[in-house]
Amino acid sequence: MSARPITTIKTVVVGIEAAGTGIKVFTLADPDRWDLPPFKPGAHIDLHLPNGLVRTYSLCNEPADNTRYVIAVKREADGRGGSRALHDEVGIGDVIGVSLPRGGLEPGADIARHVFVAGGIGVTPFLSMARHLLRIGNADFVLHLIVREEVPLAAHLAPLIEAGRVVVHRTSRAGRPDLASLVGEVGVQTMVACCGPEGMTDEFEGMTAAWPAANVHIERFVAPPPMIDPDAKPFVLSLARTGTEIQVRAGQTMLAALQEGGIDIPTSCCGGICGACKVGWIEGKPVHRDRVLSPYERERFLMVCVAGSDADRLVLDL
Amino acid sequence: MLDEIDAGSADSTARLGWTGLVRFLHLAPRAFLPMRAMEQLVLVAGQGIEGDRYMIGREEGFYSHKPEEGRQVTLFELETLVALKRDAGIELGPEEHRRNVTVEGVPLNHLVGRRFWLGETLLEATRLSIPCRHIEEITGKAIFDPLINRSGLNCRILQGGIVRVGDTVRNAL
Repeated sequence: MSARPITTIKTVVVGIEAAGTGIKVFTLADPDRWDLPPFKPGAHIDLHLPNGLVRTYSLCNEPADNTRYVIAVKREADGRGGSRALHDEVGIGDVIGVSLPRGGLEPGADIARHVFVAGGIGVTPFLSMARHLLRIGNADFVLHLIVREEVPLAAHLAPLIEAGRVVVHRTSRAGRPDLASLVGEVGVQTMVACCGPEGMTDEFEGMTAAWPAANVHIERFVAPPPMIDPDAKPFVLSLARTGTEIQVRAGQTMLAALQEGGIDIPTSCCGGICGACKVGWIEGKPVHRDRVLSPYERERFLMVCVAGSDADRLVLDL
Repeated sequence: MLDEIDAGSADSTARLGWTGLVRFLHLAPRAFLPMRAMEQLVLVAGQGIEGDRYMIGREEGFYSHKPEEGRQVTLFELETLVALKRDAGIELGPEEHRRNVTVEGVPLNHLVGRRFWLGETLLEATRLSIPCRHIEEITGKAIFDPLINRSGLNCRILQGGIVRVGDTVRNAL
């Protein structure tokens, strides 16, 4: 029996390939080559690295290629450590836990044309999308790849460059292209998307501000802060029996905060109906959102998977 | 009062009777992985399903940290999938509910505490399954609420064997 819940998808590294200066392509698969959870073109996954870091990377392969997760990682010597760990410490056969895929872009039925703009290694999600669009026979897309000089993932992109699907813009030769002229006019049947360094995505966002939101997609290297309910407030859990204080971030569940704090709480449905995570409360103003406790029980207990707090401090019988 | 009502006795069960069918079989070897459709499953008495994440000794399921002797095989009603589409407009496939056996014509909610034959295997129903947020995370579909009280059945395997698509499901008297 595993003492802790399984929270990641177990994968093994089955391929590592050099793909340009400082870039490696890692292929992850299920230990038995079982299908992996499905994903949309250009989706991303979190890698839970052996050194404890959690880092997010876009998938380069297409959804139909569903027994592998393929990521391309550029080694950033001065980065936050994720790419160094992958380049320097991870080898074939290593086990890496990954999250369910998130995000990505589902080509809409009413979208006739796609224009992608990528900066450097930001090409990775669009490699996935380009492969997907080609497979489903969508003829009208173009990927503008802006690089200083060297094309990342050159071997992967070569067929797309040859077919005229990818247009490479080398800033070392021609300066930086004008994004507005690459994207063209707004059109309800056109989807535009950008992935690259912050300056590029910011410029792209400003330039497309007047477009319908559904026709614009932006992928950032560093994820923006999560969307939080504007009414949600942080509060403190005070554990009466141990004297421990635990911070609950705005929008976080008490359960997640307790688990982060190393407190083992039995859980099951995580939706407020099974009753597994019932905890006594002593002082404060709990907000009950469960569908299992009676009004009488709510005077003494709450369900930490869904309950909130109307006061800054809530004392639990833990 | 309820104790005095003769419900679920051998006599009433035989006379009211039902017979159902195994329509789909699925398993997955590890948490989060897509369920794979199978033509047959091998049920091992007291253990679980060969190759499935909750087989005792394997312990690779999302809930394996909470071992449960009565969760060796799980069942789900095909009728619930039809109802989800009809009542909530949610299209959920038999590979998405993450139970092992999808049956038709079997009143699963009535079977808690009873024994029944699933093909050549004998099961004992231990408790109703409950929906979980985990399944919404995996499917990306808002099915938690619509599945309350019809999320399937957990069973213990009393007599093992091979279960095939098309097998009959019937009460064990």
